[in-house]
Amino acid sequence: MKSTTTSAHRRLGALMSLGAAAALVLAACAPASSSDPTTPASDPTTSDAAPSDDANGETPAGEGGTLKVGYISPITGNFAIAGQEMVDGWNLFWEINGSEAGGVTVETIVEDDAGNPELSLTKARKLVESDGVDVVVGPLLANTALATAAYTSSVGVPNLHPVAAADDLTQREANDLTLRTGSMSGSQMNYPGGVWAAEEGHKTAVTLCPDYAFGWESCAGFKQGFEQNGGEVVSQIWYPNGTSDFATYVSQIQAANADIAFVVTAGGAPGPDFLRSFMGLGLTDSQDLVMNCCGMDQATLRALGDEVLGFKSISYWAEGRQSPVVEEFNNAYAERYEGKIPSANVAGGYMTASLVAKVLEENGLVTGEDLVAAIGDASFEDSVLGKVSWDEYNNTVGSVYIREVQERDGKLYNVPIREFNDVDQWLGLDPDEAMARETYSQSFQG
Amino acid sequence: MFEPVFLAQQALNGLSFGALLFLLASGLTLVFGLQRIVNLAHGAFYMLGGYIGIIIATMTGNLLLAAIVSMIAVGVTALVVELGLLRFVRGQEMPEVLLTIGVMFVVADLCLAFFGGDPKTLPAQASIQGAFQLGGLTYPWYRLFVIAVAVAVGIALALIQSKTRVGAVVRAGVDDREIISAMGVNISWVFTGMFVVGAALAALGGTIGSGVLSIRPGIQNDVLLYALVVIIIGGLGSIKGAAVGAVLIGVIDAFAKAWIPEFAYFTIFAPMALVLVFRPTGLFGRTA
Amino acid sequence: MTRAQKLNVVGFAALIVLLFAFPYLGTSGYQVSLASTVLIAAILAATVNFLAGDGGMGSLGHGAIAAAAAYGAGWSSLQGHSITMQVVVAMGTGIVVTLAYGLLSMRTNGIYFLMVTLAVGMVIYGLAYRLSSVTRGENGITGIQRPEMLAEPWAFYLFVVASFLVVTLVLLVVSRSPFGAGLRGVRDSESRMRSLGYYVPAFKLVAFMISGTIASYAGLLSVWHTHFVSPSSAEVHRSVLLFVMVILGGLGTTLGPLVGATIVVLVENVVSNSMERWPTLLGVIFVLAILFARAGLVGSTAKLVRRMRQRRAGAGPDDAAELTDVPPTSGTTTSVRP
Repeated sequence: MKSTTTSAHRRLGALMSLGAAAALVLAACAPASSSDPTTPASDPTTSDAAPSDDANGETPAGEGGTLKVGYISPITGNFAIAGQEMVDGWNLFWEINGSEAGGVTVETIVEDDAGNPELSLTKARKLVESDGVDVVVGPLLANTALATAAYTSSVGVPNLHPVAAADDLTQREANDLTLRTGSMSGSQMNYPGGVWAAEEGHKTAVTLCPDYAFGWESCAGFKQGFEQNGGEVVSQIWYPNGTSDFATYVSQIQAANADIAFVVTAGGAPGPDFLRSFMGLGLTDSQDLVMNCCGMDQATLRALGDEVLGFKSISYWAEGRQSPVVEEFNNAYAERYEGKIPSANVAGGYMTASLVAKVLEENGLVTGEDLVAAIGDASFEDSVLGKVSWDEYNNTVGSVYIREVQERDGKLYNVPIREFNDVDQWLGLDPDEAMARETYSQSFQG
Repeated sequence: MFEPVFLAQQALNGLSFGALLFLLASGLTLVFGLQRIVNLAHGAFYMLGGYIGIIIATMTGNLLLAAIVSMIAVGVTALVVELGLLRFVRGQEMPEVLLTIGVMFVVADLCLAFFGGDPKTLPAQASIQGAFQLGGLTYPWYRLFVIAVAVAVGIALALIQSKTRVGAVVRAGVDDREIISAMGVNISWVFTGMFVVGAALAALGGTIGSGVLSIRPGIQNDVLLYALVVIIIGGLGSIKGAAVGAVLIGVIDAFAKAWIPEFAYFTIFAPMALVLVFRPTGLFGRTA
Repeated sequence: MTRAQKLNVVGFAALIVLLFAFPYLGTSGYQVSLASTVLIAAILAATVNFLAGDGGMGSLGHGAIAAAAAYGAGWSSLQGHSITMQVVVAMGTGIVVTLAYGLLSMRTNGIYFLMVTLAVGMVIYGLAYRLSSVTRGENGITGIQRPEMLAEPWAFYLFVVASFLVVTLVLLVVSRSPFGAGLRGVRDSESRMRSLGYYVPAFKLVAFMISGTIASYAGLLSVWHTHFVSPSSAEVHRSVLLFVMVILGGLGTTLGPLVGATIVVLVENVVSNSMERWPTLLGVIFVLAILFARAGLVGSTAKLVRRMRQRRAGAGPDDAAELTDVPPTSGTTTSVRP
C-alpha cells in the first residue's frame, strides 16, 4: 500500500521540522526547569483543588436540596440494549413517582460509555469533577464497574451498581463507597440453583459457563450449592467469550450424560444461540436444563418466542412473580415501552431508584459515606426483587427464584416455581473464610 | 469423547460451521480477487442482510423470499456505496479500504438505531424444523441445509467463473485490467457489479446464518474476523481457497473445542499463523 | 518562503506553550485529564503515522501492542514489583510482542501487512481475555499506580506533554535520517530497493520495532493515566480508531496525529454527551475526510494555505519547485497490483 502523502510537503516539512526540532529541544528541557521549581507546583494545587471543592460545596441548594446523580451506561456499541434498559428502569421510577423524594430533588445526568472502561473512567471524571455529582450510578459491565468504582472511591463519591455482578465489587475490592444495589454477585445468585437441583433429586450435573470471571463465579456458586447437598458435578465445560456457534458444546453436554445441565451466559446473543443448538439437537425433552439469570432473560424470550416455554432458570429477578410491586412495575414499563416486559437490567435500574428514594425519604439529603451508611440500614419487605437488605460489604441480601417460562395473556414470563429467601454472598461460609480462598477460576470452583 | 456418534456429530458441527464460514468469506474473497480491496464493511453487510432477512421471514414465513429480499436490499446499499463513495477513490488501495471502515461504522451504528440491540434469530416458522435421525445420531436439518446452500453457492460460483462470459471477463480483469478495457469491456462496471455481488453474498450468509447464530450488535466484527482468517488461509481472491479454508477452520474448531478446550480460542488462529509463516499468500493465493 | 518558515516556527512554539500552559488556564481536573487522553492517543497515532507515512505499512495492531505493555505493567503491579520493575516489565512485554509482530509481518506488504497485524492483534485480544491467570480476564487489572512524582494529575499531564514532544521529535529525526530515506524507498518501490542491494525485510522490521517500542511506551502512559487495563484496550476497534486519527489528521504530517486524536477523543468523550448516534458521526467524518480532505486536516489546510498564497503572489520560484515535486495524487496506484 502506498501512502497518499505528497512529497511536496517534504521540502516545506524539512524546514518546518527544523524549526520544530529546535523548539522541541527547547521544550524538552523547558518543563524540567519550569516544573521542578516550586512555582508551578503551588500554582496548580489551587487550580486542581478547585473542582473537588466544587463537588462538595455545591450541594446544599434549595429547600430539601438536590441530589445530583451521574448515571453511566453503555447506550451505544455492543451492549447498547442492556445499557439502555438499565437507564430506562431508573428513569421509569422517577417518571412514576416524580423526581422528588423526601423533599430532595433528584437530578440525573446520563452518560454513555459504550462498554469501554476508559470511556467509563473519563465519564466518571467528568461527572464528578465537572458536573459535581453526589453519586455515580453504573456502569453495566464488570470491567467498567471495577474501573469506575476504583476511581469514585478514591475521590470520595458513592458508586451504586444496579447490574454489575462481579463478586469482588463487594468482596475483595469492597470499600465504604461502593454498593451493589439492584442485582447479586455471580456466585450468590446461582448457589440456590445448585441447592434446588440437588433437592429435585438430580444426582449428577454438567455445567457450561463462559471462560472468565462471571462464568467461573456463576459455575462455582451452582457447583457448591449442588455438591453441598449430595449432587456431583461430573463435567465442567468452558466456552471462550465471543462463542457464537454452540453446537460443539451441546454435543459435549449430550456426551456427558448427566441428570441436569447448568448453562450460564452473560446475556445477549449467547442465550438464544445456545438454545438454538440445544433444541436443534433434539435435547429439549431428553436433557434437563437450567440456565442462569441472563441466559433466559427477556431478550432470549423475545428472540425465541414460544419455543422456550417450560424452560427453567435461576435469577434474583422474576417478572412473573405475583406481587403488587412487580405488577405495578411491569404495567408501567409495558405502557411506556411498546408492551415490552422488563428484564433484569430494567429491574436493576428501577430497584436502585427505589432504594435512593427510600433513603432520601427517611433521611433527607444525604451524600458521601452517609448515603452509603443509610443504604446499609435500609431494607424492603417487598421490592421488585422481593425482600431485600444490604450486608456490611454493601451487597444485596435477597431472594433467588427458580423460574419457569410460562405464557400469560399472550406474553412470556419467567414465573417463580421456587423461592429462596435472604440469600447472602457467602455461600454458607463466613466472610473472612470466603475471601481468604483464592478467586474462582477454571481450576478453583470452591 | 471418542464414541462414533459423538465423532460424527462433531464432524457435522464442523462442516456446517465451515459452510457458514464459506458463505461469509466467498463474497469477500471475490471482491478482493478482482478489485484488490478488502471490503471491511463486509461484516456490516452481513449484519444488515441478517436483520432484513429476519424481518421478511417473520412477516412471510418464507426463507427463500427473505433471502432474496435481503440480497436485493443489501445489493442496493452496496451499489450506493460503490457509486457514491468507492468510485471516487478507485485504484487507491488505502483510501478504498479505509472508506469501507467508515461505511462499517455507519452501517453498524444505524442497524443498532433501527433494529435495536436485541439478538435476533430466524423465526421457527421460516426455519427448517426437526432433526435427522440415523441410529444413535441426531442432527438438525437446518444445519444440513446450511451445508447444502454453501455447496450450491460454491458450485455456482465456480461454474460462473469458468463457464460463462461474465466469468471470463472477470478472470481477465483479475489478470490484466488494461487489456480487458482495451478490448472494449467497461471494467468499471465489472468492478461495481462484483462489489454488489459480494455484498449480496454477505446478505445471503446473514439470512441463512441467522438460523444458527443470532444477529446482534457486534456480529459485524466477529463475522469479519472469521472471514478474514478464512481467506488469509485460503489465499486472498481464491474461491477454492475460501472453501478449503472454511472447512478446515470449521472442522479443526469443532474438534479442538471438544478435545483441547483450553486452546479453543487459538484453534482458529494457529492454522493462520502457520500459513502466514510458511506461505504468506495463503494456500491457494497467487503471489503479489 | 522564510515568512512561512517563521510562521511555522511561531506556530509550533505557540502550540508548545499552549500545551504546557493548559493546566494553568483555569481548566478543571476533568479537562486536564481529557487532554492527557488526547495526547496519549496522539503518541500512539504518531507511531501508526510513522509506519504508514514513511514505511507504507498500515498497521491495525498498534492498539494491541500498547495494551500488551499496559498488561505488563498491570501484571507486574499485581506481583507487587517496584515502579522501575513495572516499567521494565511493561516495556519488555511491549517489545517482545512488537518483535513477534515484526517477524510475522516483515515479509508481507500492502493489504497483507494490514491483515497480519489485524490478526495478531486479535490474538493479543484473545490472550487478554483467556489468559486470566495473568490478565484477570474480562474484569481487567485495577489499581495500577504511577510513580509518586507524577501522582498529581497536572504533573502527569506535563509529563505526557513532554513525552509527546520527545516522541514527535524522535520520529522526526528518524524520518529525516538516512534510515528514514531508505524506508521511504521501500515504501515507494520494494523491488528497486532490493536491486540496490538492501535487505528489505530488515528495514521493515527495524521500522516496526521503533514504532512498536514507542507504542509500548504509550501503553504504559495510558495505564498510568487510568490505573486500569482490560481486554477492551486491545480490541481491534481501538486500532481502527488510531488509523482514523491518522487519516483525519493527515497521513505523514507531523501534527496530524495530534489533530486526529483531538477530534476522535472529543467525539468519543464529549460529543457523546449530547448526541446519541456519535459512532455514526465518527464514521461520516471519516468518510468525508477520505473523500474530500485526502491529505487529512493538517495536510489539506497546508495545501489550501499554499494555494491561497500562490494565488496572491503569482507563481513564485518556490512554487515552481513545489509543482515539480507534486506526484499525481489522483493516480497513486499501488505497487501491490500484479
